[in-house]
Amino acid sequence: MSLIRQIWCLVLGAVLASVLGGVAVSTWSLRELLQTQAQLKNADNANALALALSQQKGDAELMSLLISAQFDAGAYESVRWRDGGGAQVFERHLETPQVAHAPRWFVALLPLDVAPGVAKVSDGWKAVGEIELRGQTGYVHEALWRATLSTATWLLMVGVVTGVAAAIVLSRLRRPLDTAVRQAEGVTQGRFETVLEPRVPEMRKLTSAMNTMVVRTRQMFEAQAEQLRTLHHQLLCDELTGLSHRRQFVAELNSALERDDGPLRAGLVLLRLKDLQGLNQRLGHGATDQALVAIAQALRVYPEQVRGCLAGRLNGSDFALWLPAPNVVGDTAQALADALRAGLQNLGSGVGVALGAVELMRDQPMSAWFAAADAALAKAEQGEGVVLELREAPPSDEVAQGERAWRALISDALAQQRSRLLEFPLIGRERQVLHLECPLQLKLNPVGEFEPAARWLPLALRHRLSAEADLQALALALQATQQDQRARCVNVAPATLNDGSFIARARELVQAAPAPVRRAIGLELAEPAAVQHFETLQELGRQLRPLGVQLGLEHAGAGLAQIDRLFQAGLDYVKLDSSVVSGVSADVARAAFVRSLVVMLRSLSLKVYAEGVTDALDAQALWDCELDGITGPWASAQEIKP
Amino acid sequence: MSRFVTRAVSRAGRRIRPALWALAWTAGLWSALAWGWDQDRLTESAAKLSPRTQAAVKAMIQMADHAAAMPDERDRLAAVNGFFNQRVAFRDDIEVWGQIDYWATPLELLDKGAGDCEDYAIAKYMSLLAAGVPQSRLRMVYVRAQFQGRPQAHMVLAYYAQPEAEPLILDNINPEIRPASLRPDLTPVFSFNGEGLWSGVGATTAGNPLVRLSLWRDLLAKAKAEGF
Repeated sequence: MSLIRQIWCLVLGAVLASVLGGVAVSTWSLRELLQTQAQLKNADNANALALALSQQKGDAELMSLLISAQFDAGAYESVRWRDGGGAQVFERHLETPQVAHAPRWFVALLPLDVAPGVAKVSDGWKAVGEIELRGQTGYVHEALWRATLSTATWLLMVGVVTGVAAAIVLSRLRRPLDTAVRQAEGVTQGRFETVLEPRVPEMRKLTSAMNTMVVRTRQMFEAQAEQLRTLHHQLLCDELTGLSHRRQFVAELNSALERDDGPLRAGLVLLRLKDLQGLNQRLGHGATDQALVAIAQALRVYPEQVRGCLAGRLNGSDFALWLPAPNVVGDTAQALADALRAGLQNLGSGVGVALGAVELMRDQPMSAWFAAADAALAKAEQGEGVVLELREAPPSDEVAQGERAWRALISDALAQQRSRLLEFPLIGRERQVLHLECPLQLKLNPVGEFEPAARWLPLALRHRLSAEADLQALALALQATQQDQRARCVNVAPATLNDGSFIARARELVQAAPAPVRRAIGLELAEPAAVQHFETLQELGRQLRPLGVQLGLEHAGAGLAQIDRLFQAGLDYVKLDSSVVSGVSADVARAAFVRSLVVMLRSLSLKVYAEGVTDALDAQALWDCELDGITGPWASAQEIKP
Repeated sequence: MSRFVTRAVSRAGRRIRPALWALAWTAGLWSALAWGWDQDRLTESAAKLSPRTQAAVKAMIQMADHAAAMPDERDRLAAVNGFFNQRVAFRDDIEVWGQIDYWATPLELLDKGAGDCEDYAIAKYMSLLAAGVPQSRLRMVYVRAQFQGRPQAHMVLAYYAQPEAEPLILDNINPEIRPASLRPDLTPVFSFNGEGLWSGVGATTAGNPLVRLSLWRDLLAKAKAEGF
């Protein structure tokens, strides 16, 4: 029973007990008093009558008359005169007994025990028996009943007032208590939030202590994040420009190309500072560096402003910019060229930059991207100054089928449940399966093959069907887990969080499942969701985590350190992107970075997994970095313990 | 004796009324007293008092036992009447107790060795009950006594061999037991005993504050506590 409810019970019990006890005690003592009074009246009247009778010199007629007169004038039930042998000489009694105007149960509950008054009568020395006298007592119960009613009414009013006062006090107590409990729950779920301090002193101390603890945790976290940013900068970035270096850019691009939820078409821009050696000789080292920094500054704007954009320095003179959106590469490259023309102007003439921009279908391999972009770059290099060469692949046939057709295909597939879940294991250190990653596949063509998310998800996103797809994946996962009791997790697209009904519907689905099944289900969102939809993510956690569902971030990388309020998010685990973990075995610096990421996330009591691991050496290095689990081709190829 | 009488006259008017009021309180304890006393408890109560009192109480118990063995109730009357008339000196309540009217228990009477008319009557009444005389034959009687030519308020104990018979009078002014007709100096006013009172109240009087409201009740409660 909750504290508040216990206090309520106590208050109600005390009020009830005092009302009942008060009524009982007052009724009981009033009855005692009335009974004693009636008894006194009997005894006194009997003595007074006996005294008067004793003065009549034994005249029976006169004595009977006296008795009658006394009986008629007073309120008596009966008056009896018995002689010395006990035989009745004269008697008067009430013909119709009085009826008390009180409930029968009340009369039965409080019987009156009023003894008759008895006194001796004499005539000189001669004893002439005794008088026994009873007064009327019917009024006693009536008076008692009325007094009991009024006492009960008054005490009830006092009780009600007490109850109302208690309710007010309790509600005032309850608010800070609830706040403190919510805060405490938040802390256990990994949400470190401060709350307003209440005015009740005990609660204020508690809340103040909790707030201090939360603030200290945040400070620790922020210090770690800061450290991580520095480390990231030092290890994975080019020293001069601060952009990702070649290996890092390639890893990030690889991850971006393989991601399910990217756009159908995307853009890549390659930039080259022409004649780097010549510039070095003509303008000097400093001016050349200035030119390189100017290019980097123009590029850095994009990844900083748009999530998913990637910028990197591929080698001394080459830069790259990845734009994960269709139909923007032309305008972007043009704007970039204009910015560079303005930025490089003051370095004098002869500083030339070539830009090669391409837009392709995202399902092209990386080599095709670079080949196309290199070709465009080579063309651009033939010009003078800042030159842009743009190449866009024609729209594919499938897209040309028309938006409406696509929408119908996807929604039909979902409606008819032409869907299945793939299963990729995420394994722990002991090669045990921690959970199965379950991407959804749809059979868009009823007689065709199941197709991976990469083919239909971008279109589903555009048509706002991702929530439907994610819910279907969740339902399938719940079903499958109910059958085989294996833990599963499904992806939720960041765009799905835009759908206002998603959380409620997901909760409904989960609630329908038995508790052990709920606890085996995980939902994961891509890292950008934690930034773009932070509030919704929090709400998702608040609604689903109490039911047992796990909540995680996938494709997480260096960006984690940029999520200001990760400590308030309320997550269970984080999956590090392959761009962060690949090549960790060969790169001590990267291993150090991963290790400090793990430390930071562990301090928020999150589990840390690695994604997209292909290499056994990498896997070993990751185990050394204390990761909790690994997924990817390497993990799928392992002999799995059940 | 003459000194007593003068004083008795002076307060005669005041005394009858409070005594009558007290009569209203003859409830309960009389019935308990009617069956004699608890010798062990009486001795125990006496043990707190002086050795002289202890001896007197012992003598009273022996006297009552002795009287109980007598076949003729008249002999019992004589034994009890003689015992108290000889042992107890007549003195006013105001001298003995510092109060205008005080009704003493037999134990208090023996402890002080002195008392007034109702103290004699009470002690004789209780002793006779202990000696096995039925309560119905005993009555305490308020009388107007013509003493030395003046009317006095007085109390005696009357013994009725039969309900309608002429009673024998146990008095302290005239120590001889005589039939009522031979006591022209006494005019009866009112009589009472413990008969006919309900028994239920006896047990509840201990906690009842109303007990202390009258002399009579007070006396009965004290006497009961002492073992009567």
